[in-house]
Amino acid sequence: MPKLIWKEWHEQGWKLGFGCLVLGAMAVIGLRSRIIADESMIAWVCFLGMALLPVLSSSGLVPAERSERSFESLLALPVPRWRILAAKTAMGVVLCAGPMIVAALASLLVAGGREMTGGEMIALYVRSTAAAVLLFVWMLALTIRLPNETRAGLLGLGVLIFWIIATLGLAYPSVPSSAMTISPLAFVYGFFNDFVGEPPLVGVVAAQAAIAAALWCWAARQMGAEDRS
Amino acid sequence: MSEMPVIEMRGVAKSFGSKSVLRGLDLSVARGQTFAFLGRNGAGKTTAIRTLLGLLKADAGHIRVLGLDPAKDPLEIRRRVGYVAEDQAMFGWMRVGQLLWFMAPFYPTWDAPWAKELSDRFELPLKTRVKHLSKGQGFRVALLLALAHRPELVVLDDPTLGLDPIMRKEFLRDLVTYLQGERVTVFFSSHLLYEVEPVADAVVILDHGRVVRQAATEDLRASVKRLLTAAEAVDVLRGLPGLLDLTHHGRQASAVVEDILSARAVLAKAGIEAQEIDLNLDEIFEAYVIGRRKEGQDAKTDLERVA
Repeated sequence: MPKLIWKEWHEQGWKLGFGCLVLGAMAVIGLRSRIIADESMIAWVCFLGMALLPVLSSSGLVPAERSERSFESLLALPVPRWRILAAKTAMGVVLCAGPMIVAALASLLVAGGREMTGGEMIALYVRSTAAAVLLFVWMLALTIRLPNETRAGLLGLGVLIFWIIATLGLAYPSVPSSAMTISPLAFVYGFFNDFVGEPPLVGVVAAQAAIAAALWCWAARQMGAEDRS
Repeated sequence: MSEMPVIEMRGVAKSFGSKSVLRGLDLSVARGQTFAFLGRNGAGKTTAIRTLLGLLKADAGHIRVLGLDPAKDPLEIRRRVGYVAEDQAMFGWMRVGQLLWFMAPFYPTWDAPWAKELSDRFELPLKTRVKHLSKGQGFRVALLLALAHRPELVVLDDPTLGLDPIMRKEFLRDLVTYLQGERVTVFFSSHLLYEVEPVADAVVILDHGRVVRQAATEDLRASVKRLLTAAEAVDVLRGLPGLLDLTHHGRQASAVVEDILSARAVLAKAGIEAQEIDLNLDEIFEAYVIGRRKEGQDAKTDLERVA
């Protein structure tokens, strides 16, 4: 397992640097310039992270390796396929969480306690990171059989757009708030609905954990599925 | 008691959707044999190999590799087998030395001094990235990785594909000769029969997912012959047991039979003299795969096909 993680780190590490640079710079420049309220600026940073990081990480883990044809070599190793997927998932989570952590630290340093308390800032980043990780799991599962990074990236964007629209629909006042628990964007519900009560956090966590586990197991089955003679 | 075969497949079937790739495959490979798995592109060689290694699951049939069932113990099989895939791509960003370091922990029997010796013997540049290696060097790296854990069985899927003729000769001379000396069982698929012939102890010919013949190479050469005789004898040739191919050119008729002894007896009984011609593996393969008489197809159709 450590060697598998080492391999993923070497292949995906540059994306972590890229994500940290983009989100960190956006947080610092945005908050120092004070062109909009701090909360809005942080919301934009979080939204960029949720949109960019899952697509970037999911498309690079399996589809990119398929297009380079080294995936066959990986599957031929005497290692259970779930371990290969676990190493890739761990790297994907780091890719989604790392830049968010950097942006959160930058935000705290530049604007902590100014318009928002440190706790409020951290809560926003934690919720956004959770949403990014959940979107990543969706994208990982749905793109795992795709043969290249481009197609995976496009499908990942499609997943993102679908869930934004679906979450806007779920946020409609006539829809019970408990329905929101099925959306990977449930943790950032406040972006979509300021006037109806949030779904219970415990319900969201339980539902999202179950959905993420089911998607991951499905991805593990799909990863080694037979697709050629 | 006879030794257990290293590979045993009985009635193995595999389909991808509606496409049937393996249709009741039967074969047996004895320990220490160099076994050539012959077939045209699309005959099912790669599917059979991937099934042996547990990379694909057979739909039906019985498979044992080193006494293990690939459906139940795929990891143990992959630990004990060295495998070079067809046109294998490794992790291009790794340096050769890094690749060895990466692979070693996956194999409990990895022999680091032996890996070093192989890398020296193959003249591999350990500090060069895999993506910058030539095709031949890349192939040697794949071989090194397949051999460094001292496998009991080496499976090579069309290993010389894409190599130049000199590299192919070196491969056969060095690798197969070495492995034969070590009593390692070698199972390799190929469609370059002239290369297989000098090194294979036994061959199996695969056609449309079925084994059409498995035999020791020498037995195959001794039993499969071409018979040349006068065109008037074509009706007798048509009735020969084990007829694989029948052609007619002017005054001469030519038949390829898989059992020369039986054919000789039939011809002697009919009072027909025929010239016997030895065939190389290439010609034998062609007779089985292209010239093989289809069920229900009569000799007239054979003659028309050739004409």
